[in-house]
Amino acid sequence: MRTIRLLVAKDLRLEWRTREITTTVGLLALLLVIVLAAVRPEPAAAASAMWVTYAFAATLGFTRAFALERDHLTGLRLAAADGGVVFLGKALVNWVLLAAVQAASLPAFGALFTEAALARAGALAAPLVLGGVGLAVVGTLFGGLIVQARLREALLPLLMLPVALPVLIAATSATAALLDGAPLRAVGGQLQLLVAFDILFVTASWLLFEFVLEE
Amino acid sequence: MRLLLVAATLLMLVGITWALLAAPTEVFQGLPQRIMYLHVPAVITAYSALLVVFAASALYLWTRQARWDRLAHGAAELAVLFITATLATGAIWGRPVWGTWWSWDARLTTTLILWFIYVGYLIVRAWAPGSRGARAAAVIGIVGVLDIPLIHWSAIVLRTLHPQPTVFRPEGPALPASMLPPLGINLAAFLLLFAALLLLRVRQERTLARLVERLEGA
Repeated sequence: MRTIRLLVAKDLRLEWRTREITTTVGLLALLLVIVLAAVRPEPAAAASAMWVTYAFAATLGFTRAFALERDHLTGLRLAAADGGVVFLGKALVNWVLLAAVQAASLPAFGALFTEAALARAGALAAPLVLGGVGLAVVGTLFGGLIVQARLREALLPLLMLPVALPVLIAATSATAALLDGAPLRAVGGQLQLLVAFDILFVTASWLLFEFVLEE
Repeated sequence: MRLLLVAATLLMLVGITWALLAAPTEVFQGLPQRIMYLHVPAVITAYSALLVVFAASALYLWTRQARWDRLAHGAAELAVLFITATLATGAIWGRPVWGTWWSWDARLTTTLILWFIYVGYLIVRAWAPGSRGARAAAVIGIVGVLDIPLIHWSAIVLRTLHPQPTVFRPEGPALPASMLPPLGINLAAFLLLFAALLLLRVRQERTLARLVERLEGA
Protein backbone atom coordinates (compact mmCIF):
# COMPACT_ATOMS: atom_id res chain seq x y z
CA MET A 1 0.00 0.00 0.00
CA ARG A 2 2.76 2.37 1.00
CA THR A 3 4.65 1.63 -2.21
CA ILE A 4 1.60 2.44 -4.29
CA ARG A 5 1.15 5.71 -2.39
CA LEU A 6 4.78 6.65 -2.96
CA LEU A 7 4.62 5.81 -6.67
CA VAL A 8 1.44 7.82 -7.13
CA ALA A 9 2.78 10.76 -5.12
CA LYS A 10 6.00 10.77 -7.17
CA ASP A 11 4.16 10.85 -10.51
CA LEU A 12 1.61 13.41 -9.40
CA ARG A 13 4.30 15.68 -7.96
CA LEU A 14 6.26 15.42 -11.19
CA GLU A 15 3.13 16.27 -13.16
CA TRP A 16 2.24 19.12 -10.81
CA ARG A 17 5.67 20.72 -11.32
CA THR A 18 5.84 20.36 -15.10
CA ARG A 19 2.11 20.25 -15.95
CA GLU A 20 3.16 18.65 -19.25
CA ILE A 21 0.39 16.10 -19.58
CA THR A 22 -2.35 18.25 -18.08
CA THR A 23 -1.66 21.14 -20.45
CA THR A 24 -1.37 19.13 -23.66
CA VAL A 25 -4.17 16.69 -22.91
CA GLY A 26 -6.46 19.36 -21.46
CA LEU A 27 -6.04 21.56 -24.54
CA LEU A 28 -6.57 18.59 -26.86
CA ALA A 29 -9.79 17.70 -25.01
CA LEU A 30 -11.07 21.27 -25.25
CA LEU A 31 -10.21 21.38 -28.94
CA LEU A 32 -12.03 18.11 -29.57
CA VAL A 33 -15.15 19.34 -27.76
CA ILE A 34 -15.19 22.45 -29.93
CA VAL A 35 -14.57 20.60 -33.19
CA LEU A 36 -17.23 17.98 -32.42
CA ALA A 37 -19.71 20.63 -31.30
CA ALA A 38 -19.10 22.72 -34.43
CA VAL A 39 -19.88 19.70 -36.60
CA ARG A 40 -22.96 18.51 -34.75
CA PRO A 41 -24.13 20.57 -31.76
CA GLU A 42 -27.27 18.51 -31.01
CA PRO A 43 -27.89 17.04 -27.55
CA ALA A 44 -28.24 13.59 -29.18
CA ALA A 45 -24.56 13.71 -30.17
CA ALA A 46 -23.36 14.67 -26.68
CA ALA A 47 -22.65 11.18 -25.29
CA SER A 48 -20.62 9.99 -28.27
CA ALA A 49 -18.74 13.31 -28.43
CA MET A 50 -17.85 12.95 -24.74
CA TRP A 51 -16.40 9.45 -25.11
CA VAL A 52 -14.57 10.23 -28.35
CA THR A 53 -12.94 13.11 -26.49
CA TYR A 54 -12.02 10.97 -23.47
CA ALA A 55 -10.65 8.16 -25.63
CA PHE A 56 -8.42 10.51 -27.63
CA ALA A 57 -7.27 12.38 -24.53
CA ALA A 58 -6.52 9.06 -22.85
CA THR A 59 -4.40 7.67 -25.67
CA LEU A 60 -2.35 10.86 -25.79
CA GLY A 61 -1.94 11.11 -22.02
CA PHE A 62 -1.16 7.46 -21.39
CA THR A 63 1.73 7.34 -23.86
CA ARG A 64 3.32 10.11 -21.82
CA ALA A 65 2.87 8.35 -18.50
CA PHE A 66 5.41 5.69 -19.38
CA ALA A 67 7.57 7.79 -21.65
CA LEU A 68 8.43 9.59 -18.43
CA GLU A 69 9.69 6.30 -17.07
CA ARG A 70 11.52 5.03 -20.13
CA ASP A 71 14.97 5.87 -18.88
CA HIS A 72 14.11 4.94 -15.33
CA LEU A 73 12.43 1.59 -15.89
CA THR A 74 15.43 -0.04 -14.27
CA GLY A 75 14.83 2.09 -11.19
CA LEU A 76 11.20 0.99 -11.05
CA ARG A 77 12.28 -2.60 -11.48
CA LEU A 78 14.90 -2.38 -8.74
CA ALA A 79 12.49 -0.73 -6.35
CA ALA A 80 11.30 -3.40 -3.98
CA ALA A 81 7.89 -3.50 -5.64
CA ASP A 82 6.43 -6.29 -7.71
CA GLY A 83 4.87 -5.72 -11.11
CA GLY A 84 1.33 -5.70 -9.77
CA VAL A 85 2.08 -2.82 -7.41
CA VAL A 86 3.77 -0.75 -10.12
CA PHE A 87 0.76 -1.41 -12.33
CA LEU A 88 -1.72 -0.24 -9.68
CA GLY A 89 0.30 2.93 -9.04
CA LYS A 90 0.56 3.81 -12.72
CA ALA A 91 -3.08 3.01 -13.43
CA LEU A 92 -4.17 5.18 -10.51
CA VAL A 93 -2.15 8.15 -11.79
CA ASN A 94 -3.55 7.67 -15.29
CA TRP A 95 -7.07 7.52 -13.93
CA VAL A 96 -6.62 10.67 -11.84
CA LEU A 97 -5.41 12.57 -14.91
CA LEU A 98 -8.27 11.24 -17.05
CA ALA A 99 -10.82 12.07 -14.33
CA ALA A 100 -9.44 15.61 -14.19
CA VAL A 101 -9.95 15.93 -17.95
CA GLN A 102 -13.47 14.51 -17.64
CA ALA A 103 -14.40 16.92 -14.85
CA ALA A 104 -12.83 19.93 -16.54
CA SER A 105 -14.52 19.29 -19.88
CA LEU A 106 -18.00 18.72 -18.45
CA PRO A 107 -18.88 22.46 -18.44
CA ALA A 108 -17.83 22.66 -22.10
CA PHE A 109 -20.18 19.82 -22.97
CA GLY A 110 -22.88 21.52 -20.92
CA ALA A 111 -22.44 24.79 -22.77
CA LEU A 112 -22.07 23.43 -26.30
CA PHE A 113 -24.23 20.28 -26.35
CA THR A 114 -26.79 19.93 -23.60
CA GLU A 115 -27.24 21.48 -20.19
CA ALA A 116 -28.08 18.00 -18.89
CA ALA A 117 -24.32 17.36 -18.82
CA LEU A 118 -24.11 19.63 -15.80
CA ALA A 119 -27.58 19.17 -14.35
CA ARG A 120 -27.12 15.39 -14.21
CA ALA A 121 -23.44 15.41 -13.24
CA GLY A 122 -24.18 13.34 -10.13
CA ALA A 123 -25.68 10.43 -12.05
CA LEU A 124 -23.13 10.80 -14.86
CA ALA A 125 -20.34 10.22 -12.34
CA ALA A 126 -21.13 6.49 -12.41
CA PRO A 127 -20.36 5.82 -16.11
CA LEU A 128 -17.60 8.44 -16.14
CA VAL A 129 -15.74 6.84 -13.24
CA LEU A 130 -16.32 3.20 -14.23
CA GLY A 131 -15.51 3.87 -17.89
CA GLY A 132 -12.54 6.04 -16.95
CA VAL A 133 -11.10 3.24 -14.82
CA GLY A 134 -11.52 0.81 -17.73
CA LEU A 135 -9.67 3.12 -20.14
CA ALA A 136 -6.94 3.82 -17.58
CA VAL A 137 -6.38 0.11 -16.89
CA VAL A 138 -6.16 -0.95 -20.54
CA GLY A 139 -4.06 2.12 -21.36
CA THR A 140 -1.63 1.41 -18.53
CA LEU A 141 -1.22 -2.25 -19.48
CA PHE A 142 -0.54 -1.51 -23.15
CA GLY A 143 1.38 1.68 -22.40
CA GLY A 144 3.81 -0.34 -20.30
CA LEU A 145 3.97 -3.06 -22.92
CA ILE A 146 5.11 -0.83 -25.77
CA VAL A 147 7.12 1.78 -23.89
CA GLN A 148 10.30 0.42 -25.48
CA ALA A 149 8.81 -0.06 -28.96
CA ARG A 150 9.38 2.21 -31.88
CA LEU A 151 6.32 4.21 -32.97
CA ARG A 152 4.64 3.76 -29.59
CA GLU A 153 2.51 6.88 -30.05
CA ALA A 154 0.93 5.22 -33.07
CA LEU A 155 0.78 1.77 -31.51
CA LEU A 156 -1.07 2.62 -28.29
CA PRO A 157 -4.40 3.65 -29.85
CA LEU A 158 -4.18 0.72 -32.28
CA LEU A 159 -3.91 -1.74 -29.41
CA MET A 160 -5.95 0.04 -26.78
CA LEU A 161 -9.08 1.14 -28.62
CA PRO A 162 -10.23 -2.28 -29.89
CA VAL A 163 -9.68 -3.92 -26.50
CA ALA A 164 -11.40 -1.01 -24.73
CA LEU A 165 -14.35 -1.04 -27.15
CA PRO A 166 -16.73 -2.69 -24.63
CA VAL A 167 -15.99 0.20 -22.25
CA LEU A 168 -16.68 2.79 -24.92
CA ILE A 169 -19.92 1.15 -26.07
CA ALA A 170 -21.32 0.58 -22.58
CA ALA A 171 -20.23 3.96 -21.24
CA THR A 172 -21.55 5.87 -24.26
CA SER A 173 -24.88 4.10 -24.11
CA ALA A 174 -25.22 4.72 -20.35
CA THR A 175 -24.19 8.37 -20.73
CA ALA A 176 -26.69 8.91 -23.54
CA ALA A 177 -29.53 7.43 -21.49
CA LEU A 178 -28.64 9.50 -18.41
CA LEU A 179 -28.42 12.71 -20.45
CA ASP A 180 -31.85 11.83 -21.78
CA GLY A 181 -33.18 11.93 -18.25
CA ALA A 182 -33.29 8.18 -17.50
CA PRO A 183 -32.77 7.18 -13.85
CA LEU A 184 -29.59 5.42 -12.79
CA ARG A 185 -31.56 2.16 -12.46
CA ALA A 186 -32.30 2.15 -16.20
CA VAL A 187 -28.62 1.80 -17.11
CA GLY A 188 -27.87 -1.02 -14.66
CA GLY A 189 -26.93 -3.39 -17.48
CA GLN A 190 -24.31 -1.05 -18.91
CA LEU A 191 -22.86 -0.29 -15.47
CA GLN A 192 -22.64 -4.03 -14.74
CA LEU A 193 -20.66 -4.52 -17.93
CA LEU A 194 -18.32 -1.68 -16.96
CA VAL A 195 -17.78 -3.16 -13.50
CA ALA A 196 -17.12 -6.61 -14.99
CA PHE A 197 -14.62 -5.14 -17.46
CA ASP A 198 -12.82 -3.19 -14.73
CA ILE A 199 -12.55 -6.22 -12.44
CA LEU A 200 -11.38 -8.57 -15.21
CA PHE A 201 -8.77 -6.19 -16.56
CA VAL A 202 -7.44 -5.01 -13.22
CA THR A 203 -6.93 -8.65 -12.24
CA ALA A 204 -5.40 -9.70 -15.57
CA SER A 205 -3.09 -6.68 -15.77
CA TRP A 206 -2.06 -7.06 -12.15
CA LEU A 207 -1.01 -10.65 -12.87
CA LEU A 208 0.58 -9.95 -16.27
CA PHE A 209 2.47 -6.77 -15.41
CA GLU A 210 5.41 -8.72 -14.02
CA PHE A 211 6.13 -9.85 -17.59
CA VAL A 212 5.56 -6.36 -18.98
CA LEU A 213 8.25 -4.74 -16.83
CA GLU A 214 10.88 -7.42 -17.41
CA GLU A 215 13.99 -6.43 -19.31
CA MET B 1 2.35 -31.92 -42.88
CA ARG B 2 2.14 -32.86 -46.57
CA LEU B 3 -0.30 -35.56 -45.61
CA LEU B 4 -2.41 -32.99 -43.76
CA LEU B 5 -2.40 -30.63 -46.74
CA VAL B 6 -3.42 -33.41 -49.14
CA ALA B 7 -6.18 -34.57 -46.79
CA ALA B 8 -7.43 -30.99 -46.33
CA THR B 9 -7.49 -30.41 -50.10
CA LEU B 10 -9.34 -33.65 -50.85
CA LEU B 11 -11.88 -33.07 -48.09
CA MET B 12 -12.44 -29.50 -49.24
CA LEU B 13 -13.03 -30.63 -52.83
CA VAL B 14 -15.59 -33.19 -51.66
CA GLY B 15 -17.18 -30.76 -49.20
CA ILE B 16 -17.51 -27.88 -51.65
CA THR B 17 -18.81 -30.07 -54.46
CA TRP B 18 -21.38 -31.58 -52.11
CA ALA B 19 -22.35 -28.16 -50.77
CA LEU B 20 -22.80 -26.71 -54.27
CA LEU B 21 -24.41 -29.63 -56.09
CA ALA B 22 -25.96 -32.11 -53.69
CA ALA B 23 -27.07 -30.12 -50.66
CA PRO B 24 -30.69 -28.86 -50.76
CA THR B 25 -31.43 -25.22 -51.55
CA GLU B 26 -32.78 -23.27 -48.61
CA VAL B 27 -36.38 -22.11 -49.18
CA PHE B 28 -36.18 -18.50 -47.97
CA GLN B 29 -32.58 -17.50 -48.68
CA GLY B 30 -32.07 -19.41 -51.91
CA LEU B 31 -28.62 -20.00 -53.33
CA PRO B 32 -26.73 -17.43 -51.20
CA GLN B 33 -27.34 -19.71 -48.21
CA ARG B 34 -24.71 -22.11 -49.61
CA ILE B 35 -21.94 -19.75 -48.52
CA MET B 36 -22.74 -21.02 -45.02
CA TYR B 37 -20.68 -24.12 -45.89
CA LEU B 38 -17.58 -21.90 -45.99
CA HIS B 39 -18.59 -19.25 -43.46
CA VAL B 40 -19.30 -21.52 -40.50
CA PRO B 41 -16.14 -23.66 -40.86
CA ALA B 42 -14.06 -20.48 -41.28
CA VAL B 43 -15.39 -18.89 -38.11
CA ILE B 44 -14.99 -22.07 -36.06
CA THR B 45 -11.42 -22.43 -37.33
CA ALA B 46 -10.71 -18.77 -36.53
CA TYR B 47 -11.88 -19.09 -32.93
CA SER B 48 -9.97 -22.39 -32.56
CA ALA B 49 -6.88 -20.53 -33.74
CA LEU B 50 -7.49 -17.86 -31.08
CA LEU B 51 -7.66 -20.54 -28.40
CA VAL B 52 -4.31 -21.86 -29.64
CA VAL B 53 -2.89 -18.31 -29.42
CA PHE B 54 -4.21 -17.99 -25.87
CA ALA B 55 -2.86 -21.33 -24.66
CA ALA B 56 0.51 -20.98 -26.41
CA SER B 57 0.96 -17.40 -25.12
CA ALA B 58 0.26 -18.47 -21.55
CA LEU B 59 2.65 -21.42 -21.90
CA TYR B 60 5.31 -19.12 -23.32
CA LEU B 61 5.10 -16.67 -20.42
CA TRP B 62 5.18 -19.60 -18.02
CA THR B 63 7.97 -21.72 -19.53
CA ARG B 64 9.87 -19.17 -21.68
CA GLN B 65 10.41 -21.78 -24.36
CA ALA B 66 10.64 -20.18 -27.81
CA ARG B 67 8.63 -22.99 -29.38
CA TRP B 68 5.43 -21.85 -27.63
CA ASP B 69 6.04 -18.35 -28.92
CA ARG B 70 6.42 -19.65 -32.48
CA LEU B 71 3.19 -21.62 -32.09
CA ALA B 72 1.33 -18.51 -30.83
CA HIS B 73 2.74 -16.40 -33.66
CA GLY B 74 1.73 -18.88 -36.37
CA ALA B 75 -1.73 -19.36 -34.89
CA ALA B 76 -2.27 -15.59 -34.66
CA GLU B 77 -1.43 -15.14 -38.34
CA LEU B 78 -3.89 -17.86 -39.27
CA ALA B 79 -6.50 -16.45 -36.91
CA VAL B 80 -6.35 -13.14 -38.79
CA LEU B 81 -6.56 -15.03 -42.09
CA PHE B 82 -9.64 -17.03 -41.09
CA ILE B 83 -11.32 -14.03 -39.42
CA THR B 84 -10.84 -12.15 -42.71
CA ALA B 85 -12.44 -15.07 -44.58
CA THR B 86 -15.32 -15.08 -42.08
CA LEU B 87 -15.97 -11.35 -42.45
CA ALA B 88 -15.72 -11.51 -46.26
CA THR B 89 -18.05 -14.50 -46.72
CA GLY B 90 -20.45 -13.01 -44.17
CA ALA B 91 -20.62 -9.70 -46.01
CA ILE B 92 -21.16 -11.43 -49.36
CA TRP B 93 -24.03 -13.43 -47.84
CA GLY B 94 -25.46 -10.43 -46.01
CA ARG B 95 -25.87 -8.31 -49.13
CA PRO B 96 -28.55 -10.47 -50.87
CA VAL B 97 -30.14 -11.90 -47.70
CA TRP B 98 -30.17 -8.96 -45.27
CA GLY B 99 -29.95 -6.32 -48.00
CA THR B 100 -26.82 -4.89 -46.38
CA TRP B 101 -23.11 -5.72 -46.35
CA TRP B 102 -22.75 -4.99 -42.68
CA SER B 103 -24.79 -4.65 -39.52
CA TRP B 104 -23.76 -3.86 -35.95
CA ASP B 105 -24.82 -7.22 -34.71
CA ALA B 106 -23.14 -8.77 -31.65
CA ARG B 107 -21.37 -11.55 -33.55
CA LEU B 108 -20.22 -9.31 -36.38
CA THR B 109 -18.94 -6.64 -34.03
CA THR B 110 -17.06 -9.16 -31.91
CA THR B 111 -15.40 -10.75 -34.93
CA LEU B 112 -14.46 -7.39 -36.45
CA ILE B 113 -12.93 -6.13 -33.20
CA LEU B 114 -10.99 -9.38 -32.80
CA TRP B 115 -9.60 -8.77 -36.28
CA PHE B 116 -8.29 -5.38 -35.11
CA ILE B 117 -6.84 -6.80 -31.88
CA TYR B 118 -4.93 -9.58 -33.63
CA VAL B 119 -3.75 -7.34 -36.47
CA GLY B 120 -2.37 -5.18 -33.65
CA TYR B 121 -0.71 -8.32 -32.28
CA LEU B 122 0.98 -8.91 -35.64
CA ILE B 123 2.08 -5.27 -35.86
CA VAL B 124 3.71 -5.49 -32.44
CA ARG B 125 5.48 -8.66 -33.58
CA ALA B 126 6.70 -6.90 -36.70
CA TRP B 127 7.97 -3.81 -34.87
CA ALA B 128 9.40 -5.38 -31.76
CA PRO B 129 11.42 -8.44 -32.64
CA GLY B 130 13.19 -10.66 -30.14
CA SER B 131 12.08 -11.77 -26.71
CA ARG B 132 10.67 -8.37 -25.74
CA GLY B 133 8.30 -8.44 -28.71
CA ALA B 134 7.45 -12.04 -27.92
CA ARG B 135 6.49 -11.13 -24.35
CA ALA B 136 4.46 -8.11 -25.44
CA ALA B 137 2.67 -10.22 -28.04
CA ALA B 138 1.94 -12.96 -25.50
CA VAL B 139 0.27 -10.43 -23.19
CA ILE B 140 -1.85 -9.10 -26.08
CA GLY B 141 -2.70 -12.65 -27.16
CA ILE B 142 -4.02 -13.46 -23.68
CA VAL B 143 -5.85 -10.18 -23.15
CA GLY B 144 -7.52 -10.39 -26.57
CA VAL B 145 -9.14 -13.73 -25.78
CA LEU B 146 -10.21 -12.57 -22.30
CA ASP B 147 -11.91 -9.65 -24.02
CA ILE B 148 -14.12 -11.85 -26.25
CA PRO B 149 -17.05 -12.29 -23.82
CA LEU B 150 -16.99 -8.59 -22.93
CA ILE B 151 -17.00 -7.44 -26.55
CA HIS B 152 -19.86 -9.81 -27.23
CA TRP B 153 -21.80 -8.58 -24.20
CA SER B 154 -21.24 -4.94 -25.14
CA ALA B 155 -22.41 -5.59 -28.68
CA ILE B 156 -25.64 -7.13 -27.34
CA VAL B 157 -26.32 -3.67 -25.91
CA LEU B 158 -26.78 -2.94 -29.61
CA ARG B 159 -29.39 -4.99 -31.49
CA THR B 160 -28.83 -8.52 -32.78
CA LEU B 161 -29.76 -9.50 -36.32
CA HIS B 162 -27.49 -12.48 -36.95
CA PRO B 163 -29.11 -15.92 -37.35
CA GLN B 164 -29.01 -17.80 -34.07
CA PRO B 165 -26.69 -20.81 -33.92
CA THR B 166 -28.26 -23.71 -35.83
CA VAL B 167 -25.68 -26.46 -35.29
CA PHE B 168 -24.11 -26.15 -31.85
CA ARG B 169 -27.11 -25.77 -29.58
CA PRO B 170 -27.98 -27.56 -26.38
CA GLU B 171 -31.17 -28.94 -28.04
CA GLY B 172 -29.18 -30.48 -30.93
CA PRO B 173 -28.74 -29.27 -34.51
CA ALA B 174 -31.68 -27.41 -36.07
CA LEU B 175 -30.19 -27.72 -39.53
CA PRO B 176 -31.82 -30.30 -41.86
CA ALA B 177 -29.87 -33.55 -41.78
CA SER B 178 -29.08 -33.25 -45.50
CA MET B 179 -27.10 -30.06 -44.85
CA LEU B 180 -24.95 -31.52 -42.11
CA PRO B 181 -22.55 -33.79 -44.08
CA PRO B 182 -21.12 -31.11 -46.40
CA LEU B 183 -20.84 -28.72 -43.45
CA GLY B 184 -19.03 -31.33 -41.37
CA ILE B 185 -16.69 -32.25 -44.23
CA ASN B 186 -15.84 -28.60 -44.85
CA LEU B 187 -15.28 -28.01 -41.15
CA ALA B 188 -12.87 -30.95 -41.01
CA ALA B 189 -11.14 -29.66 -44.16
CA PHE B 190 -10.73 -26.16 -42.69
CA LEU B 191 -9.38 -27.47 -39.41
CA LEU B 192 -6.92 -29.75 -41.23
CA LEU B 193 -5.84 -26.86 -43.43
CA PHE B 194 -5.32 -24.76 -40.31
CA ALA B 195 -3.23 -27.52 -38.71
CA ALA B 196 -1.15 -27.94 -41.87
CA LEU B 197 -0.47 -24.22 -42.29
CA LEU B 198 0.28 -23.83 -38.58
CA LEU B 199 2.80 -26.65 -38.75
CA LEU B 200 4.35 -25.09 -41.83
CA ARG B 201 4.72 -21.66 -40.20
CA VAL B 202 6.10 -23.07 -36.97
CA ARG B 203 8.67 -25.09 -38.94
CA GLN B 204 9.67 -22.06 -40.99
CA GLU B 205 10.16 -19.96 -37.87
CA ARG B 206 12.13 -22.75 -36.21
CA THR B 207 14.42 -23.04 -39.21
CA LEU B 208 14.86 -19.28 -39.20
CA ALA B 209 15.72 -19.25 -35.50
CA ARG B 210 18.28 -22.04 -36.01
CA LEU B 211 19.79 -20.23 -38.97
CA VAL B 212 20.16 -17.01 -37.00
CA GLU B 213 21.71 -18.99 -34.16
CA ARG B 214 24.27 -20.61 -36.52
CA LEU B 215 25.15 -17.32 -38.17
CA GLU B 216 25.64 -15.63 -34.84
CA GLY B 217 27.72 -18.55 -33.63
CA ALA B 218 29.94 -18.52 -36.71
